[in-house]
Amino acid sequence: MIRLLGTKHLLGHRLWIKDFPKPTKQIQIPYLIVGGGISGLSAARQFHKKGISDFLIVELENHLGGNSSNGENKYSKYPLGAHYLPLPNFQDKELLQFLEEEKIILKYDEKGFPVFDELQLTFAPDERLFYKNNWQEGVVPKEGNLISDDLEFEKFFKKMDVFRTAKGEDQKYLFDIPLHLSSKDEKTRALDKITMKQWFTDNHFTSEPLYNYIDYCCKDDFGLGIEYVSAWAGIHYFAGRKQDSTPEKHDSVLTWPEGNSCLANHLKKYTKDKSLKNHLVYEVKVENNKVIAKAFDDVNKTSVEIIANKVIMASPQFVNQYLINDRKAFTKDFHYTPWLLATLVVNDLFDNFSFPLSWDNVIYDAKGLGYVYDQHQTVNQVQDKKVITYYYSFSSADLKKTRKELYKKDKEYWKQFVLNDLKVAHPDIEEYTEDVEVFLLGHGMISPAPGFIFGEAKKQAKQNIQNKIYFAHSDLSGISIFEEAFHQGINVVNEIVDGTTVDS
Amino acid sequence: MGKKFLRFEFLLLFAVFIIATCGLIYELVAGTLASYLLGDSVKQFSFIIGVYLFSMGIGSFFSKFFNKNLLNTFVEIEILVGLIGGLSSVVLFLLFESVGSFQFILYLFVFVTGFLVGLEIPLLMNILKDRVEFKDLVSNVFTFDYIGALLASILFPLVLVPKLGIMGTSLFFGMINVSIAIALCFLLKRELKKPSLLRAKAIFSFVLLLVFFIFSNDILAYSEGKLYGENIIYTNSTPYQRIVLTHNKSDYRLYLNNNLQFSSADEYRYHEALVHPAMSMAKSVENVLVLGGGDGLAVREILKYKDVKKVTLVDLDEGMTKLFKTNSVLTNFNQNSLNNPKVTVINTDAYIWAKNNKEKYDVAIIDFPDPSNYSLGKLYSLNFYQTIKTILKPNAAVVIQTTSPYFAPKSFWCINKTVMQVFPQVDAYHVYVPSFGEWGYTIAINGFRTTFNTVNRKADGLKFYNYQFDRFNYFTNDMISNQIEINRLDNQILVRYFDEEWGKLQ
Repeated sequence: MIRLLGTKHLLGHRLWIKDFPKPTKQIQIPYLIVGGGISGLSAARQFHKKGISDFLIVELENHLGGNSSNGENKYSKYPLGAHYLPLPNFQDKELLQFLEEEKIILKYDEKGFPVFDELQLTFAPDERLFYKNNWQEGVVPKEGNLISDDLEFEKFFKKMDVFRTAKGEDQKYLFDIPLHLSSKDEKTRALDKITMKQWFTDNHFTSEPLYNYIDYCCKDDFGLGIEYVSAWAGIHYFAGRKQDSTPEKHDSVLTWPEGNSCLANHLKKYTKDKSLKNHLVYEVKVENNKVIAKAFDDVNKTSVEIIANKVIMASPQFVNQYLINDRKAFTKDFHYTPWLLATLVVNDLFDNFSFPLSWDNVIYDAKGLGYVYDQHQTVNQVQDKKVITYYYSFSSADLKKTRKELYKKDKEYWKQFVLNDLKVAHPDIEEYTEDVEVFLLGHGMISPAPGFIFGEAKKQAKQNIQNKIYFAHSDLSGISIFEEAFHQGINVVNEIVDGTTVDS
Repeated sequence: MGKKFLRFEFLLLFAVFIIATCGLIYELVAGTLASYLLGDSVKQFSFIIGVYLFSMGIGSFFSKFFNKNLLNTFVEIEILVGLIGGLSSVVLFLLFESVGSFQFILYLFVFVTGFLVGLEIPLLMNILKDRVEFKDLVSNVFTFDYIGALLASILFPLVLVPKLGIMGTSLFFGMINVSIAIALCFLLKRELKKPSLLRAKAIFSFVLLLVFFIFSNDILAYSEGKLYGENIIYTNSTPYQRIVLTHNKSDYRLYLNNNLQFSSADEYRYHEALVHPAMSMAKSVENVLVLGGGDGLAVREILKYKDVKKVTLVDLDEGMTKLFKTNSVLTNFNQNSLNNPKVTVINTDAYIWAKNNKEKYDVAIIDFPDPSNYSLGKLYSLNFYQTIKTILKPNAAVVIQTTSPYFAPKSFWCINKTVMQVFPQVDAYHVYVPSFGEWGYTIAINGFRTTFNTVNRKADGLKFYNYQFDRFNYFTNDMISNQIEINRLDNQILVRYFDEEWGKLQ
């Protein structure tokens, strides 16, 4: 069985021509949230915390969660996007608070460190890499390197350790999460002007395994590889997370079979009876001191007019440019990497048994980013069938062109593409695969190409419109991670309710 | 005439060559088998070569007593060498376990083969002495003899043993040996007396060897069981494990995935020590839980207490519990405990079961396989013990099989330390089980209303445990390990310790 699924790109494309019926219904609501991804859901939670309950969240898909959604088959849940949350930085009290509310942090120990729920931390063994025809522990190539490779790895990680703890003159971390807390240090921000590859060369690195490893890491977090990603973003991957919330300095992550859908579900409770799904908002404008939003109901094929005092656009900027006037000029600087996810049901996963199946299984020099074993976080002894999710990001110089090609290929093509990429480590995988579900995300995540994070486009896109229309989305931070979206949602509500603004 | 004679001579010389090759092969087979079965290969090979050469000498000595029908005798010896040499490995394999005097039989075979080969050369020289010049005769016979020896010693380790196996090799060369005899019967039928009788003998021997050759794998499989010192009386592969039950004299042994689970000779030590301390300390024993332990031996011990009203056994493998409910040899061991009306057997994943279970227990006996992989390691994690705590009554006692504190001290104390994070009172103890070695347990009490030295009740008729717990919780320095981490699902440090410690021993 092969299925080809994806986000509702065809409905989305109707925004280009806007052939929607005239509204036949009207809704009045003080606060409207457009977009049910993590930013929108986090805004809903923050409204709740501020004692505000008269808000409505509108979502195009038939479910809330955005990139933090999941699928489920007979054997397991599996992610359809984001699938883990690194342990938060100790200073990120908002996030720690959320994790404590949801019993992901169970308590704080006598030294003040959070105690994470053992069942939600990645079980051991967490990572393995297929390198030089062997599975080895961890994703850093180790066994089989040249001595010169090992020395470069050592040098590289030392540099990252320095970046991780270094602060600028403003006493802020050079690299922090959320990103806007990072130092304004000019020299560091200049790194956003060059690619990670440039930085690699400038720092006299030459090792191929190191190059591949950094390329893998960049794609993992940003979709873009070392050739195209901003060096500031590339370094942020390693230095942004302080690994300071456990006494052992763990770099482990929290994960669930359904991926970050678990976190989205925690947030969804704040939107009970306050959400409108299958609704595509196609126009938002200020009129008579109110915001008028028009939405198309994809189930009943009718349109609705929503009249709100304030609107939070928790939708990505490539969508917003079609809803609100005068946004196309700066939106063209927002680039989004397409992603492909393939969830496979396999009877077995034979390999050469050099290191056991782990949560994250990476194949060195493969096209994709490897696969996640979706049942890893279960306590069972045995599984009838194994469910794995393969990740592939379309890193390229021309993402638009890539996206067009993505939708041209059929499911058989993608199935073969995925299997061929996995065959390096699992030669028999095709024989053992009984089901493949391919999920395409045309605009998978915002891509921090050089100049974007500290550029003008982002700054302009963030500006609220007449204190009526506000913007909150991870693409406004520049990197697509849970923490950014989570803070975007909180900050926008604080701005609306308390009038506080977050500088950047 | 000259041409025909030449053929006669060469035929016999070729026979010498084959005899020499085969003779050495039999010697090598005997040496390999002896070192394989008895160990100490230097000694075995040395003795066998010595005995073989010596017996060849004896054979040569006795050759002078053969005066009549030399050619017939030669062919008969050829058949006999093929038959005895060819069958030697089969007989030795099959007899290894059942015969006390295995070495005697081994050397008897070597001697007989050597003796017969020793007879042949002088015999042959006697046959040819009147037809060939003595100088040529000696030189030719020994040349072929030694070439054959070289060929055999090169082929044996490089080609024969890898391709045919030891048994196959000896049978194959037995057949070659006998086929030379058959060929001689046909080619020299004018020189031989009663060639048809000789031919019949030869063909019969050949067929016999061929039959054994065809079935050599089955014979090997049968004898392999004996090789491990035990008869395999039952094997079954369930979806979870391979169960093998063996029998040797009065001892039955159960292997799960080739790991010894119990030996009937001393399992009472393991199971009395597993069950009775916890059962005697617990506040109450009405409701008892067993996790793992599908063999029903722990349940047998539990049922020795009259106060026990209910026993719940959770074991993943239905194949295992079914076997121990139905096989009469096995129900004899567990005294039919799994069919006792007080006992409920649940075949499911213990971890998942414990998470969903609502009932609470007075005693929990946890008898899982050793943490040899990441799946099993989960059953020794902090979260697992926290889960177990939720299904225990206050002051319940829980005992956990904790691998060997002698072979794997880090693993042992890792489990112990992990349990300490969860229960208010925790101790460790160990016993000597001959078939396992020094074996240990972690014991905990879910409260403070009883202690490890409290004996609330006793069962009668124990062979080993005497209810003096403080005799078992002392550990000598070689069984102690410090600086141990707690085993959690996200570090699975125990599996690493276990691998490191048992890996060293393998």
